[in-house]
Amino acid sequence: MKPSRFHRLVLRLVVLLIFALFPLTGNDYLTVQLTQYTVYGIFAMSLSLLWGYAGILCFGHAIFFGVGAYVMALITKGMVPGFTGFLTSTWVGLVLAVLSVAFFALVLGYFLFYGRLSGPYLGIVTLAISVILERVAVNWYYIGGFNGLTEVPALNFFGWEVRELHALFYFILAVALGLYLFCDRLMRSPLGTTMAAIRDNETRAEFFGYNSANYKILIFCIGGSVAGLAGALFATVTEFVSPTIIGFGFSTEVLIWVALGGKEVLLASFLGAVVVRILEAFLSDLLTYYWIMILGLFFVVSVMFFPRGIFGSLLSDRK
Amino acid sequence: MDLPVQILNSLNYILVLILVAMGLAIIFGLMRVINMAHGEFFLLGAYTVVLTDQAGLGFWLGLLLAPILVGGIGMVIEYICIRHLYRRFLDTILATWGLSIAIKQLIIIVFGPAGLMIKPPLPQMVSFMGIEYPSYRLFIMAVALVTIGLTFYIFLKTDFGLGARAVIDNRDMAAVLGINTRKMYRTTFTFGSALAGLAGAVMAPLMSCDPQMGLGFFIPAFLAILTGGTGTLAGVLVGGGAVGGADSLISFLYSPVVSQIVVFSMVIVVIRIRPQGLLGTKSGR
Amino acid sequence: MLKIENLHASYGGSLVLHGVNLSIQPGEIQALMGRNGMGKTTLMRTIMGLLSSRSGTITFDGQPIQNLRTHEIAAKGLGYVPQGREIFGDFTVWENLHLGTLKLPRNQRKVPEEVFDYFPILKERKNQKAGSFSGGQQQMLAIARALVTRPKMLLLDEPSEGIQPSIVDQISEILKKINAQTGLTILIVEQNVDMVLETATRCAFMEKGRIVETCSMEDIRKDESIITCHIAV
Repeated sequence: MKPSRFHRLVLRLVVLLIFALFPLTGNDYLTVQLTQYTVYGIFAMSLSLLWGYAGILCFGHAIFFGVGAYVMALITKGMVPGFTGFLTSTWVGLVLAVLSVAFFALVLGYFLFYGRLSGPYLGIVTLAISVILERVAVNWYYIGGFNGLTEVPALNFFGWEVRELHALFYFILAVALGLYLFCDRLMRSPLGTTMAAIRDNETRAEFFGYNSANYKILIFCIGGSVAGLAGALFATVTEFVSPTIIGFGFSTEVLIWVALGGKEVLLASFLGAVVVRILEAFLSDLLTYYWIMILGLFFVVSVMFFPRGIFGSLLSDRK
Repeated sequence: MDLPVQILNSLNYILVLILVAMGLAIIFGLMRVINMAHGEFFLLGAYTVVLTDQAGLGFWLGLLLAPILVGGIGMVIEYICIRHLYRRFLDTILATWGLSIAIKQLIIIVFGPAGLMIKPPLPQMVSFMGIEYPSYRLFIMAVALVTIGLTFYIFLKTDFGLGARAVIDNRDMAAVLGINTRKMYRTTFTFGSALAGLAGAVMAPLMSCDPQMGLGFFIPAFLAILTGGTGTLAGVLVGGGAVGGADSLISFLYSPVVSQIVVFSMVIVVIRIRPQGLLGTKSGR
Repeated sequence: MLKIENLHASYGGSLVLHGVNLSIQPGEIQALMGRNGMGKTTLMRTIMGLLSSRSGTITFDGQPIQNLRTHEIAAKGLGYVPQGREIFGDFTVWENLHLGTLKLPRNQRKVPEEVFDYFPILKERKNQKAGSFSGGQQQMLAIARALVTRPKMLLLDEPSEGIQPSIVDQISEILKKINAQTGLTILIVEQNVDMVLETATRCAFMEKGRIVETCSMEDIRKDESIITCHIAV
């Protein structure tokens, strides 16, 4: 069942509409939650870029999110030596968050992809990094240690503080939409086709003259940067960062969201994050400890029988 | 702390790490499955001992039971889940990953999230050559050595081992010669899981048993295999020695956090220079 | 002994065998010839269960085997010597041979002496690593290993490839001897016309995934153009 282009466009617009109209329901608590989930959705999309489109499996994807969040928090709280005044503004914070994550991804990518580290090995190496970084963050007193940092300043553009919950919601939604369009465009561009070729058959792509390592590093940087941006936004939305968002547990969560939602389709991954989080909010009171176990089993089932994910088949434009 | 004592402790850690890594390496070498739940098999082994301890049945029964129980669980998992995924290599990683989450959560549900301690069953110290050393640690090393030796013997000297090595080398040709590859997979997975379970059980009295301990052994085991080389059993010895030795030494001299970073970087550098590992022969695969 | 009817099979996504019909009588040595890429190796692999068929039947010794797993097919008495030999290079000669006995119960696992009679060089070099052998010796090892499984029929895929002519002759002689002494049915896929003429009694030609002609060696000796039209480039 391959949905037509019109179908898919309509589905996407419907989703956008649902999000856009949600705050009008007047449920402020849920709007705040949804803002956070939207940030998670952006994070999920970044993993979809790496995994679904480029075939790079990342068990430690939270490292990018976490580094972005911490950089944003540290800069805007004026905790980085030498960065004062204007240099603690939202602008600088966001730019630096993205740049530092991009650089991190570049260095990492260089070591991993040129080391001929393929598929699963790479995935587990990123997992190891995630565990290490979490430990470092816990032990580093200056950046908050186990408790992390609180009172991260809200987004502030030319004096307009984006704090009011509706404004924040629409702002984040707009960013999500913008990033979605950016990533979508990117994957439909020649770069996207090259990535798909490398994903499907790397040796063949190399015969055609493509330096697959360079392309992988590039997409690694892009995917990492989007995750880093999501992290930076997360820091300002929740006004809080802690080692958990850089570590193994969170890396696992995003992997589950994307797998369940559908790694091959950006929007499916986005929805995967949002829906799983919503379900968790409702069900985790009911099911407490069992929730994670059930989620894990769902994940296994989805890997075995629904590799496209729940939303993937509905939204996919691939055969 | 004395240097000789520290060296013995390192040896202890290295041997147990090799035990865990061996199971992982065999499963990967034969079945091309990276068992992300391998750490959780270790965990299950440890908690088997916790269970028997809490039930008043003592440690030794738990030690005996652990490899059997965990091996059995491994067999069930292979049957229900993994055998459907043999042609889908990446998916086996994800599926075992999902299972590891579920298993870990199950442990939390049954035993709670906090760390549990068990009294070491051989509390006496042994003195030799001017040092005092816990006899239980010596016991662990003995168990590990015997098991490692036994595994090598099975793989290098028995018909079963010959068949297994043939399947590792060339699965199709092994099948053409009449070797039942599916049965081989099941046996291998069971055996590998049992190894992890045994390691977990034997280490349980030394560590605080908490649900995260599986990951704490899985990652170094995996790094050990990367370093030593996939596809060779001897590589596990080298990799385990290198990673385990470096880890315990640096932890002792500096701190566990520094050690993790250093060991990890060391592995990355080795991989960069020699992607197939120190003893590895085939590239990639 | 072996009867293939209307076999369709694909490899790597494209259909390679388009309805193969082939039959081989017990005790005969039949050759299968054809240009590269016509599906000969795919046919061999499908018979052995290394590739699954889309449709059609394969009957061996009266029993259908198209849905069986490879080791079950081997147990029924089909031996296979693949293209490129594929011996276990890191194992010794003895280990390679011993592998063939593993499907038997523990107390019957002995390499039959006859194998060493046919290939005396293997007995001499029992403990040498198989990877250090020359091409011709590896081929002998591969055939011997297949014989250890006591097959009723042997499939060989391009046994002469990359081997010097004198060894090819030797192998050809040994195959004929085994066939004469034990009645082993043999199917050889070959591009080497001389070897085919030497060894086989019948020959089938494969083109684009189908058998297009079968004839006896007599027919070919009378009219060499049969061969050239099917395998010349």
